[in-house]
Amino acid sequence: MTAALSNDLVLAIPELILAIGAMALLLLGAFRGEGAAGLVNWAAVGVLALAAWATLAGTGEAPRLAFSRLFVVDDFARFMKLLVLLGAALTLPMARSFMARAGAERFEFGVLVLLATLGMLVMISANDLITLYVGLELQSLALYVLAAFLRDDAKSTEAGLKYFVLGALSSGMLLYGASLIYGFSGTTNFVDLAATLGHGDGTGPAIGVVVGIVFLSAGLAFKVSAVPFHMWTPDVYEGAPTPVTAFFAAAPKVAAMALFVRTMISPLGDLAPQWQQIIVFMAVASMLLGAFAAIGQSNLKRLLAYSSIGHVGYALVGLAAGGLQGVRGVLVYMAIYMVMTLGSFGCLLAMRRGGQMVERVDELGGLSRTNPMLAFVLAALMFSLAGIPPLAGFFAKYFVFVAAIDAGLVVLSVIGMLASVVSGFYYLRVVKVMYFDDAVGPLDRPIPLPVRLVVTASGLLTVLYFIVPAPLLVSAEAAAKSLMP
Amino acid sequence: MTIGLGHYLTVAAILFTLGIFGIFLNRKNVIIILMSIELMLLAVNLNLVAFSAALGDLAGQVFALLILTVAAGEAAIGLAILVVYIRNRGTIAVEDINLMKG
Amino acid sequence: MNLEVLVFYLFASITVAAAVMVISARNPVHSVLFLILAFFNAAGLFLLCGAEFLAMILVIVYVGAVAVLFLFVVMMLDINFAELRQGFLQYLPIGGLIGVILLVELALVLGSWTILPSAGGVAAAQTPAIGDITNTDALGRILYTHYLLPFQLAGMILLVAMVGAIVLTLRARPGVRRQSISAQNARTKELAAELKKVSSGQGV
Repeated sequence: MTAALSNDLVLAIPELILAIGAMALLLLGAFRGEGAAGLVNWAAVGVLALAAWATLAGTGEAPRLAFSRLFVVDDFARFMKLLVLLGAALTLPMARSFMARAGAERFEFGVLVLLATLGMLVMISANDLITLYVGLELQSLALYVLAAFLRDDAKSTEAGLKYFVLGALSSGMLLYGASLIYGFSGTTNFVDLAATLGHGDGTGPAIGVVVGIVFLSAGLAFKVSAVPFHMWTPDVYEGAPTPVTAFFAAAPKVAAMALFVRTMISPLGDLAPQWQQIIVFMAVASMLLGAFAAIGQSNLKRLLAYSSIGHVGYALVGLAAGGLQGVRGVLVYMAIYMVMTLGSFGCLLAMRRGGQMVERVDELGGLSRTNPMLAFVLAALMFSLAGIPPLAGFFAKYFVFVAAIDAGLVVLSVIGMLASVVSGFYYLRVVKVMYFDDAVGPLDRPIPLPVRLVVTASGLLTVLYFIVPAPLLVSAEAAAKSLMP
Repeated sequence: MTIGLGHYLTVAAILFTLGIFGIFLNRKNVIIILMSIELMLLAVNLNLVAFSAALGDLAGQVFALLILTVAAGEAAIGLAILVVYIRNRGTIAVEDINLMKG
Repeated sequence: MNLEVLVFYLFASITVAAAVMVISARNPVHSVLFLILAFFNAAGLFLLCGAEFLAMILVIVYVGAVAVLFLFVVMMLDINFAELRQGFLQYLPIGGLIGVILLVELALVLGSWTILPSAGGVAAAQTPAIGDITNTDALGRILYTHYLLPFQLAGMILLVAMVGAIVLTLRARPGVRRQSISAQNARTKELAAELKKVSSGQGV
């Protein structure tokens, strides 16, 4: 092995751990049969934890390129990778009891989650259009299968089919954009792209590059489910098995947002005037749709789907603002969003009545009397999602709006605040049903231990975040700095 | 008259448009939609190969090679999901996919 | 009019015509067959560009595997396709309009192509002169070195495709008796046959 290759491999240790771990667990499952599902599930959590530990190595160092500059490791990548690994590691234990009840406890679930996570890590570290595409597809293919994982359930397979068709369409658009960018600039590498596109001769970039960026952003917008490429989100979130939906709302969204930010800031940073309008439009449309379309929803999973569309809009406000502050805003937003989302879906997973999942808003009636603790945590999460101080969700919104105002996007942040007020309506409706409506009846007990732990941790983090906000801010700031040229 | 890059790009653009058009046109038939997606990927590959020849850079061909590989996997997954869907519902009509309403 | 122009227009026109038939044929089996025709002619266009290896891969992987997989699924599923044709014309005007607009825009963009002055120097892997080494050789030399990472990840993608297809469609059917060679070989004479001493006049 040459010295250069071993240097490359050292930088990719988290990815190697996931790849080797996934293959080893696949072998284990194949030899042990279906009885190995529980073992593989916990072992997969262990592999994710190991990868997270390996990710921390070298924190604070200057960005380093590897694999012929196709791969980059910097603090931005470390920050986002840790979030993704955390999201995956928290979903797996929550999924176990659900899958066991659904009669679909199979060892492939853990393996597919590991492979999807591997794809996300590669996306986050992509420094070339080719790496970007390959990582994205590795993630997407595994997620298509996970959405359809309950293969005897019509809703789950329908969600898988919808997700697949629209996902493949968006990949096609993204690729067409990538091919145009390659053709008109002569390279696929992000470093070279930044150099080639940077020093324009005053005439601006070739029109082909701009069209390429439009197609590329359309493909990326689909992956983060920003309006107008959001139409798959409510259906897929509702139809997919609830733990898989929790996973969709947390890890892939963070990874896709990381990819979006890196692509726009790093290689296309000098073309900001070209792409900023696109991002502003997506942000406004997502925030408004997330606020208004969720009002009429009676299904909690659909409600959270529209809520996630809205939250992507707020995060995109940070990207539209750009600069160190804007990127830091996005990072803080995604971190807090992920904690809140996992907690909300954890609450959903905790609620069963007569063996059936509680999924409708009106079924929550009187939860404050029957399950006061759960009702309290869910209420805190809803207040936080609405952005009410001093909960964590308020700080997330605060940082992106401040960045936008500093960047001169005052109108954008005003629209954002208005959308935030409107969205407060449906979040508070959930709280009102829980605290003031007639009780529907007690929930099944006991709530599985992993679900209880995740819900408690997420509730505590959301409520108590304002006491120690500094660590998240400092690390997000360092991560954002490593992305800036 | 010689054949330049523009000719190839035009063919690719026509193929890409036909792919998108096919998805709109055959909203009911998932199998045709999957084939339309294959047409879109073929257009992208043609784009990349033509650019690769014009730029004298092999990166485009490597990209196209990887797209071919991934598309083969994608087709396998897509057809597998389609098969389980048909087992459950007995139809492939997308417009019939309405168990869930907004 | 030289030979290259003639061949280009032959391949290009058949590719486009076949693509039109893919999305408009009444019978999905015909669609798949037209898809195969489109792939064959696109492979011809690849050859004209000098991408021999990709042309062959397109024929082998796409026609040999993907298109046949499509054909297999279409024929395996027993579906009333005539019913699915309803509503076809309903989307024709709006879809056609969108398609024409998109095409005109793309044509305008693509007409403006020029090699950026700065683009020459950044090529990741210059194409070697024809005659030095073959296209396949040149691709192989960079695929396993410069593009090692995406190449390995493509392998992981194929693994996901395999695991995914199996997890979704493989069903263990109860009541099916399968041959187990190891169990057969492990059988001993004692396990296979039981000798009983039957005393005469009593039966077993």
